[in-house]
Amino acid sequence: MKIIQARRISQVFFFLLFVWFCIVSTVGEKLWQLRGWPVNWFLQLDPLAALGTILTTHTLYRGLLWALATVILTTVVGRFFCSWVCPFGSLHHFVGFWGNRRKSVAQKIQLNKYRKPQRIKYFILVFFLFMAAFPSVAASLQVGLLDPIPLITRSFNLVLLPIVDRSVNLTSVAGRFYEGVWVILAIFFTTVFLNLLIPRFYCRFICPLGALFGVINRFAIWRIGKKQLVLRSELLRRVANECINCKLCEKSCEGGCEPAGNMMRISECVLCFNCLDDCEENIISYQTQPSLAGEITNPDISRRGFILSLASGIFAVPAVRLSNKLGSNWYHRVIRPPGALAEKEFLKRCIKCGQCMRVCPTNVIQPGGIDGGLENLWTPVLNNRIGSSGCQLNCVACGQVCPTSAIRPITLSEKLGTDEFAEVGPIKLGTAFLDRGRCLPWAMDKPCIVCEENCPVSPKAIYTQECFNTIRDGILTIKKVSDNTIETIEDNLSLGKFATGDYYCVVEGDERRKIVANTENSIKISPDKLFEKIPTGGSKIEVQVRLQRPYVDIEKCIGCGVCEHECPVSGKKAIRVSAEGETRSDDRKLLLKH
Amino acid sequence: MGLVPGRAKRLESVISICLLAILFLIGVGVFIKQFNYNMSRYGIDTATISKLETQNSKFEIPFELSSLVPAGFGTLSEVEVYNSENLYEKINGKAPLYIESGFEKLSTQRFVSINNQSLWMELYAYDMSTVKNAFSVYSVQRRIDSEAFPPMQLAYKTGNALYFVHGKYYIELVGSSESGELFRAIAEVARKIQANLAVDHDTGIAELAMFPQENLVLGSIKLYLANAFGFERLTNTFTAEYRSGNETVTAFLSKRADSKDAEAIAESYRDFLIENDAVTKSTTNKTLEGKVMDFYGTTEIVFTVGPFVAGIHEAENQQAAEKLAEVLVNKLNSVNNE
Amino acid sequence: MSEQSGKKLGRRQLLIRAGKAGISIAAAGTVSYLLYDAKGPKTGVEDEEHVTLQDFSVQHRLGQTMSIAKGSDRVETLNKAIELLGGIERFVRHGETVAIKPNVAFASPPMLGATANPELVAEVVRLCYSRGKAKKVIVTDNPINDPASCFMLSGIGKAASAAGAEIVLPKAHLFKHTTLTGGRLIKNWPIFFEPFKKVNKLIGIAPIKNHHRAGASMTMKNWYGLLGGRRNIFHQDINTIIAELAMMVRPTLVILDGTEVMMTNGPTGGSISDLKRANTLIASTDCVAADSYGCSLLGLTVSDLSYLTKAEKANVGTTDYESLKPIFATVS
Repeated sequence: MKIIQARRISQVFFFLLFVWFCIVSTVGEKLWQLRGWPVNWFLQLDPLAALGTILTTHTLYRGLLWALATVILTTVVGRFFCSWVCPFGSLHHFVGFWGNRRKSVAQKIQLNKYRKPQRIKYFILVFFLFMAAFPSVAASLQVGLLDPIPLITRSFNLVLLPIVDRSVNLTSVAGRFYEGVWVILAIFFTTVFLNLLIPRFYCRFICPLGALFGVINRFAIWRIGKKQLVLRSELLRRVANECINCKLCEKSCEGGCEPAGNMMRISECVLCFNCLDDCEENIISYQTQPSLAGEITNPDISRRGFILSLASGIFAVPAVRLSNKLGSNWYHRVIRPPGALAEKEFLKRCIKCGQCMRVCPTNVIQPGGIDGGLENLWTPVLNNRIGSSGCQLNCVACGQVCPTSAIRPITLSEKLGTDEFAEVGPIKLGTAFLDRGRCLPWAMDKPCIVCEENCPVSPKAIYTQECFNTIRDGILTIKKVSDNTIETIEDNLSLGKFATGDYYCVVEGDERRKIVANTENSIKISPDKLFEKIPTGGSKIEVQVRLQRPYVDIEKCIGCGVCEHECPVSGKKAIRVSAEGETRSDDRKLLLKH
Repeated sequence: MGLVPGRAKRLESVISICLLAILFLIGVGVFIKQFNYNMSRYGIDTATISKLETQNSKFEIPFELSSLVPAGFGTLSEVEVYNSENLYEKINGKAPLYIESGFEKLSTQRFVSINNQSLWMELYAYDMSTVKNAFSVYSVQRRIDSEAFPPMQLAYKTGNALYFVHGKYYIELVGSSESGELFRAIAEVARKIQANLAVDHDTGIAELAMFPQENLVLGSIKLYLANAFGFERLTNTFTAEYRSGNETVTAFLSKRADSKDAEAIAESYRDFLIENDAVTKSTTNKTLEGKVMDFYGTTEIVFTVGPFVAGIHEAENQQAAEKLAEVLVNKLNSVNNE
Repeated sequence: MSEQSGKKLGRRQLLIRAGKAGISIAAAGTVSYLLYDAKGPKTGVEDEEHVTLQDFSVQHRLGQTMSIAKGSDRVETLNKAIELLGGIERFVRHGETVAIKPNVAFASPPMLGATANPELVAEVVRLCYSRGKAKKVIVTDNPINDPASCFMLSGIGKAASAAGAEIVLPKAHLFKHTTLTGGRLIKNWPIFFEPFKKVNKLIGIAPIKNHHRAGASMTMKNWYGLLGGRRNIFHQDINTIIAELAMMVRPTLVILDGTEVMMTNGPTGGSISDLKRANTLIASTDCVAADSYGCSLLGLTVSDLSYLTKAEKANVGTTDYESLKPIFATVS
């Protein structure tokens, strides 16, 4: 079996495994649902995520320890991850191959030559690492933006899968929605189609993970290179193979590392082994000796470029934070999932992988935009209008899947404030604020208590106060009263309108009585409260509607958003959650704790 | 040609196969890992949570009962489904009532409050094939101490339960106690059913509007699908209670295929009464001439108006009965003339 | 021969490389081991360094706890009041550093009485230097309005500097978190701490003002200026916070200026008509006693200000100022 066959099988295996992990990330017990599938494995194997969080938090969190395995293996054998494991890389590899397969050998060799812009990915790496490097001053983890594993995870989970699944309905019954992800799709398609220009475009020029591998593989024990021949006799030397400079090895070179040239660029070699397979003279091998023609182990970056990236990285975070989005200018619609850390700490850990958005059973977690600040991009933000119901009371799925603990894996007791957390109380995501100008019972004289009914906490955080309002054109004149029927002079009443049980009538200072039915010109009151003194013709009667007007009890409200979701004023909701009062922030409290 | 190419090639093969073996082991490892899970990490009853997605979609038979779980509640038991053969296993002696009224299927489930295990409810959803059937079983079982439950029309509630008709379904939501909190949850389930359970709303019950409104006791209309008043030919018969002074008078009506059929039924019902010792009474009312009978001291009036067989059943007071009968005649006449 | 040396060279290079690889792996492994965190962050709130404000009070002297000087000239009444308590030397020792915390809450002109009187502040500074022989005097506060404007427009900045004091304006890194033992509200809350860290004595200076929310603003309310963060949240339980502030801050001396009392529309006032001349100046080592006497100038009693009894219950001081045998004096 050829090594490249093994490589291809490995690429297919890991790509399918990745896609499978995307498919099964639905909470549930069926085989195609979450169960115990290690859906974060690729993210955990990613050393850039691990390194990033080490810099920002000075800890290596749990599952990210897998990255050590990747680092050790890369240090010993080279950039195997890029060609054998990375699903994004495999995708680029395939598209690059497919798109350029009809080109001539000479054209292909030309496509795969080393280009100076390949150093850009190192600058990107330095930029991101220095953005994360000084947590005591200002540090932000933005590696997730261009790190290929979170990138492909986002693209599949938030765009491709929802689109495909709409017709199949395997991963979700109702279809998933994610705000603003056309940008993610655009980026994804762009990177994929750029391979038609130059194969493995993203890998060669942009990928900061590849750059990281390029830095650490310099001491690899085995590397690709031209064989150093050790001959036993002069005779053999004459028939021994020598490099004839055909450059066939560069025909399918994935890394742009120039095995044919004078200096083999180790840091660019992604171990695709295509050169080894293509060489007809059997010169190229995977060996412990350095390449016969010489090799360069260091990435080709200039000091100037390095310093520029470094400085940019150091200045970038403080510059962005001048908007004071982490201080008093914070954006109230950034409501984070339960268990999310305080904002500064959160931004040190979130790698924008989108796993929380994928797993959320109610589809309420959405990728954030930049209205909450640049650092808010693709971080999890709740949008109670999307999905089936705000943040479901008894669910803590998001924290369980977050690979970096930007959202802590909390227990249900901690979320609800029960058992050992009873003194601390429940986790609040924010507080619901009633918009009395839009609320039906407050502004439109229409009975409605949907928000109160749906409030899931006990005792409810929404309570109502009864009030009776005389309706429009509600003052009528009595013609005659018999038994419990009041005939009115006005004969344009809407048939049955007052029969819903919400309407009452008051006759000139007398008691309020419930209306049970009405015709165009008569009103029937409940037989339980008949008139003691029959009103005379000509007296006035006021028709009133009984309204239960909702109030939010901010001590009990946990900001789950179910009320906002259920509110029948479906455009701009009459009750909306905003992040004031969230437990994760000290400085956004609404109330003193009692 | 290279130096000992065969060995190199063999080495390559060996390594390749070893790598594939590693891949295989990884696959096996992942597969084994997925058996090891604890669903409660994600919250209570994840089956419920993941099914919540269906709340926004209109569902039909069999409808997803667990998607009706009210806020703050979880499912206490599995969904149970019964057909005509095993219905008695669930409701015992009441089964014949349903089975004779067009019963198709019963689906039940219990929901329990997360915070208070003593608060739970059971949902009974009877699929009765048609709206009329559902209305029938709903109306004949109506409790005396019931209250209306606006804005639902065909619904009533007692201290711990809610009963209503939704399309062809007769729904009972019975709570474990008379708790306000529990009832609110019950109301929520009812609303969810109303909002999400797709039913044919076009088939209403026309007869409900054919009873005169004046003095009608709200919620007293019942539908007897068959054997009304013990007479087997009196099918599809609606009855309603009316107030008259301190007493109530029962009126009834039944729409037949046409006036000829109505006449025939009325005639045979009167014969049936006479067979059972009823006696025709005289009346001052012209329109009711010959239609008023005395049945063991109570007044029974049977007449037809167009395709309707209608009348008064077992009234204590003949005058009140006749008065009501006249109103009924007028009402049915106006209905016929529409 | 060359082959063998070639082989050796190659092998040596390989060993060197393998060694380097080994070292990198060891380094990566060590870092991973040291930084490994299986549990993750606990509550996610940053771990703050906790501090405690020291006790600045001096030895108690019976009969020399509180003095009340009546007169129209602040400088004179101040000198008299302090003299009656044993002179500034009792409070400030040679070579010490003193912090003065006047009320500089608003960027308000001095004549409106919303802030401490600049002349009064300057006189206290002067006394500390000349009589008390202090090494350094700082004047500081965490105002409600913009700090620089407050110090400037209230006149306190200029007056204090002229007298030789250093003005310390609040900056983010000067705040540290604290938790008050026995406190319910001051829990893990940032306070204006650094200026007071290396100081030996603390003197508070406050005018007597009516306060819309609290009832009155005097020496105890003056310590609100030590709170950082979004402190306006404490207005929901204003009496408890004032009492807790008095528990947290134990000053050397407080000066309560009742020369012109803001009777209405406090704490910002805004009109001269809000002020009424009472020509009284109180010096005390007991804030609660000072405020208990001072409220009478506003026409209030101890029971009108529940924070007084709250503080008394916490053993911060006494509302029964008479029991301290205050010394009265009139300055012509």
